[in-house]
Amino acid sequence: MGDIFSNLAYGLQTALTFNNILWVVIGGLLGTIVGMLPGLGPATGIAVLLPIIFGMNPSTAMITMAAIYYGAMFGGSRASIMINTPGDASAIATCFDGYPMTKNGEGGKALAMSAIASFVGGLIATVLMIFLTQPIAGLALDFGPAEMFSILLFALTATVTLSQGNILKGFVSIFTGFMLSTIGIDSQTGLLRFTFGLVELQEGIEFLVVMIGMYAIAEVYKNYNNINTKYDFDSKFIGSIWISKEEFKKCLPAMLRSTPLGFVIGALPGLGGSVAALTAYAIEKQSNKHPERFGKGAIEGVAAPEAANNAASTGALIPMLTLGIPGSATTAVMVGALMMIGVKPGPLLFTEHPDVAWGVIASMLIGNVILIIINLPLVVPLVQLLRIPQRILLPLILGLGFMGAYFLSYSSFDFILLVIFGFLGYLMSKLDIPVAPLVLALILGSDTEQYFRRAMGISHGSLSIFFTKPISLVFLILAVVSFIYSIRREQSLKKNMQEGA
Amino acid sequence: MSNLKKVLLVLLSVLLVLSLTACGSGSSNQQPQQGSSQQQDSEKTWKPESTVEIVAPANPGGGWDLLSRNIQSVVTEQKLVDQPIIITNKPGGGGAVGWTYLKGKKGNGSVLAVNSSLILLNNLLGSSELSYKDFTPLANLTTEWEVVAVAKDSPYTTGKELLDALKADPSKLSIGVGPTLGNDDHIQFLQICKAYGIDVSKLNFIVYPGAGGEEITNLLGHHIDLITISMAETLEQYRAGNLRILGVSSPERVPELQDVPTWKEQGIDVVFAHWRGIMGPPDMTPEQVKYWSDVFAKMVQSDKWKELLKNQGQYDYYMPADEYTKFLDDQNNTFSSLLKEVGLTK
Repeated sequence: MGDIFSNLAYGLQTALTFNNILWVVIGGLLGTIVGMLPGLGPATGIAVLLPIIFGMNPSTAMITMAAIYYGAMFGGSRASIMINTPGDASAIATCFDGYPMTKNGEGGKALAMSAIASFVGGLIATVLMIFLTQPIAGLALDFGPAEMFSILLFALTATVTLSQGNILKGFVSIFTGFMLSTIGIDSQTGLLRFTFGLVELQEGIEFLVVMIGMYAIAEVYKNYNNINTKYDFDSKFIGSIWISKEEFKKCLPAMLRSTPLGFVIGALPGLGGSVAALTAYAIEKQSNKHPERFGKGAIEGVAAPEAANNAASTGALIPMLTLGIPGSATTAVMVGALMMIGVKPGPLLFTEHPDVAWGVIASMLIGNVILIIINLPLVVPLVQLLRIPQRILLPLILGLGFMGAYFLSYSSFDFILLVIFGFLGYLMSKLDIPVAPLVLALILGSDTEQYFRRAMGISHGSLSIFFTKPISLVFLILAVVSFIYSIRREQSLKKNMQEGA
Repeated sequence: MSNLKKVLLVLLSVLLVLSLTACGSGSSNQQPQQGSSQQQDSEKTWKPESTVEIVAPANPGGGWDLLSRNIQSVVTEQKLVDQPIIITNKPGGGGAVGWTYLKGKKGNGSVLAVNSSLILLNNLLGSSELSYKDFTPLANLTTEWEVVAVAKDSPYTTGKELLDALKADPSKLSIGVGPTLGNDDHIQFLQICKAYGIDVSKLNFIVYPGAGGEEITNLLGHHIDLITISMAETLEQYRAGNLRILGVSSPERVPELQDVPTWKEQGIDVVFAHWRGIMGPPDMTPEQVKYWSDVFAKMVQSDKWKELLKNQGQYDYYMPADEYTKFLDDQNNTFSSLLKEVGLTK
């Protein structure tokens, strides 16, 4: 214990130099900006700064890159809330309630809450990291393909909750998502599936393209009819970022539940912020007394995923710092950059380069404070953007959506997909089929399948691997319980609604 | 009125980020000497008359990007080319996007692109129409070596023990490989097994598609039995004593792994390089090829180049244009027959 505090003090010494604080500010700001813009994520942000990072000492480099990473988590929710387009993959779940809040004229509140939740999530996760890095790193090794399959199956039961009271339509949406997730090359065999001879489909459909299409582009289609109307909210009201005591009280438990959840999911290599945020959202809805408010502008629905994704970005640094194994695309770029300046992240990092390891951990305590100072005041000018009339805002959304899709893989083929999925999203909303389960199934579908196949390869085709491994068994049981519980709950909810009507 | 201003503000900030991303990947030099046009050499020699563009067909930060930046910095520093050099990152399609761009620059001696075995494999595996024969090979430059590793408490202590077990029952062990079948990591192991007389079509590969090196965590957590992977990715775990490396694919022992025998030492005649080289567009003139061959021959001799490679865990694998061309043919034949044998190609 004493060790931890002396290490932390050493880390603070590194982090609190003027130079490093300056870079936390720059990195955090850049992260917020790339996070805000759809399609640009933290990996791009780090890549932009690479030429400068190569000239830094290792601890400053790591501190800057981490600031970009969690800065993007702060920024990612802006576009989700304002234009229903996630600025970053992990801000997907924030669309579900953030955008309805904007439509209700509570955009300012949603933006402020997401910044606060990111802050709470980031700060608590950093504290967790200070004390739990080593045990969590050990735990991550226990998660093999069988365990990962079971945990994803558990996460998938959340789709029932996302079905908004109509389970049958929810399943239509889920299975469409699963089908889409099988498109592309099958890693285990190298065979092409459902690509219809199109080279562009070989790597599968990028789920962010589907996301942007089904949310942002569909939103433009939906609003095309009233293109000349303005948001008819009182401008003072919409600009208000003040969250009432009651609202904060509602959100606090949500944040406190979602943070450890996001932290652990982030620390498991292979899963990421989007899974953390979606799971946190679903659990929040399941455990809330009024789940029917979710999807219609519940502020907890913004707080939970935002706390979770920032906690996940902190947790994701653990396998990287302790094992040298990047769990995500962003941390992979970080490892690459560190190696170029002569530090090889790995099991010996904490002993050989304590300035890098503890420096970055300590800097995150400071960084999260700096980011909320940057992000809260930013809400005020951002909210003004909502006053832009539809006839200007809609083309802007269209432009941002196409730009974001293009940046994902620099392929103009994605434009076609964007239009198709925009239309599909429009159709689904007209038919009252929820979009969220499709997106979740698309994100988790191919991973779930691949983990299943990997586990089956290891067990030579025997299903027993899922039941004989204790961690896997626990998650399977949780999955079954969660599935039955949510179905029952949705049914009773429907009954109540019918009785009420 | 004020609305319009805000819209402009948004557009401006978008433009700013766009230009940031663009600049970030192409840090070019300030124009050096422009006087080269005055020198009227004989028609037999050629030199670039405009900015030289090196295409890295991937995002910044990866192996191709790194190689391009090394070339840029050494060639510029040693003044081997009297035109500025810029790097363009054109990611997508496992290199296909960048290389297609290069293919369109027929006969243009000022646009080059870095490559690797993927230029052969994409075509063999049917994911790209582009063939290495579409381009003009200029030089092979660097390589990484591959290893086979097991957990520290694995029952297998030598490469032979492991291969004997696989010979008796090829599907007995789960072999972690990533990110795709038919890549260097996969092919090195196929070559080793083939050389040892193991039925490669029965091997039980578990594929890890992510960029995250998840196969290493799965190996350390005893979920799989062994991994076939590039050496650099295992070094830190090896130094920490978490895993055992049974063999390295280099011709001689490498300094980082002094006590790990090569496959050759263990009686298996396999050397496997995960090489990276550089090529030009189709239809380059012999003068253009000569010019670049000279530049790269000088570049690999420089101390700065050697130092960069050493820092980055890369090894020199220089081959001049003619040797490199022949090497590509050989590699293509070897890969093609191996992939056929495991059923990845017809």
